[in-house]
Amino acid sequence: MNISGELIAFFILSVSAIGGAVFMMNLTRVMHMALALAFTFFSIAGVFILLDAPFLAVTQILIYTGAVSILMIFGIMLTKHKDEENPPSFDIKKLWSLIGVGAFFAVVLWIIYQSPFFTSEETVTDFSVKMLGKSIFQQYMIPFEVTSILLLVALIGAAVLAKREEKRK
Amino acid sequence: MDIWVILGPVIMLFLVLGFVTYAILFERKVIGWIQNRVGPTQVGPWGLLQTVADVLKLLIKEDIIPRKADVGLFKLAPVLAFIPAFAVIAVIPFTESIKFADIAVGLLYYMSISSITIIGVLLGGWASNNKYSLLGGMRSAAQMVSYEIPLVLSVVGVIMSAGSLNLTEIVHAQQTGAWFIFPQFLGFIVFLIASIAELNRTPFDLPEAESELVAGYHTEYTGFRFAFFMLTEYTYIFGMASLITILYLGGWDAPFGLTFIPPLIWFILKFSLFVFFLFWLRATMPRIRGDQLMEFAWKGLLPLAIFNIFLTAILKEVSFLSHYF
Repeated sequence: MNISGELIAFFILSVSAIGGAVFMMNLTRVMHMALALAFTFFSIAGVFILLDAPFLAVTQILIYTGAVSILMIFGIMLTKHKDEENPPSFDIKKLWSLIGVGAFFAVVLWIIYQSPFFTSEETVTDFSVKMLGKSIFQQYMIPFEVTSILLLVALIGAAVLAKREEKRK
Repeated sequence: MDIWVILGPVIMLFLVLGFVTYAILFERKVIGWIQNRVGPTQVGPWGLLQTVADVLKLLIKEDIIPRKADVGLFKLAPVLAFIPAFAVIAVIPFTESIKFADIAVGLLYYMSISSITIIGVLLGGWASNNKYSLLGGMRSAAQMVSYEIPLVLSVVGVIMSAGSLNLTEIVHAQQTGAWFIFPQFLGFIVFLIASIAELNRTPFDLPEAESELVAGYHTEYTGFRFAFFMLTEYTYIFGMASLITILYLGGWDAPFGLTFIPPLIWFILKFSLFVFFLFWLRATMPRIRGDQLMEFAWKGLLPLAIFNIFLTAILKEVSFLSHYF
């Protein structure tokens, strides 16, 4: 294996991504967690750049910075400044969630190993935004529309649920 | 490796610092002129060294960190706010040859990187552990997230007309057709208003409303860290002025065939026009009310920006207009 700049960058970015996620789990204050999460997302954006997908990387940053700032605002509004999460205690509920998550992980891993990958590598260097637009709005038009309808349903559902809660008070 | 890869950004940093220094002086002079005053005159000839003295004062001030503040985040916040402000300049082409990175998604890069600053501002407001700072940070985040949407949607018209996200390509499209301020006038207005809101300038300077919030998110900041927040703000003016020049005013393109004036001068002239416009607005407009702010973004600018996209799509198909769209 030859050591190139790309490999070193990949290692730094992936360590940052995993490190951010680990910190996110272990930190006790909401704002610190949100910042760690942002760190993970930006590292993943860096990985996308290494994979010759600048559009995806930029979109990742654009969407997740907004998401993280909203998360921070909710963190500020719903918690006290000095609020800290108690260190997790182990009980039977946790054990069940562990089994559930483990089973899910096993299923995902099994699917990944089952699915056939293309034998030849696709060329990604001469990618352009135009090609992306064409494939989304021509070839994959229906999945795109279905996804957007799904998101719209989720949005309206969230608004309706929040409204109902308000009435009950 | 080319020596310019290292030297270029350093020169750019000093250029930006020089711009910020004299933009502040220019702002005070212009506002003084509008309000029938003279502005700073004491330090140096014509007050030229006033900002330099101010910055020097900030640098030698005591660095105060509140005891109850979250020290790590308090120190991190100005850094997190400034780095994106400088990083966005990387994709801006000043002329055909003077540019740093010519990436295919330059416009989107600007929009996405500049949104990272919101996190820095919010963190600064929260880490200060001060009610005014927190309110200022929250206001700032709410305002910047809301106005980012019309900002991004208003440039879709430009992207559709130019057929590219690359800023150099967008200028080339204007050299062959018309400057986008004419065919994209509606988009230009939306972009102009949203960009002023993104810059937190008057009339959208609610996050720093001194009559209600002391100083907003940087109430607890002193000395060098405060200087960094100010530097961030003025660096964004540099970035936004460059961006609006490129997107709507034809970049370095010379109007009326006046090509004997070099392209860089044209760029600086158009750039200065926007900077002057900002200062002019600050001297003449009152601050918008808090409840009007959000309504204006969601009910006013957003529908207009979406309407602009539809209009561009339709006019692109009209045969005698398609040259301009």
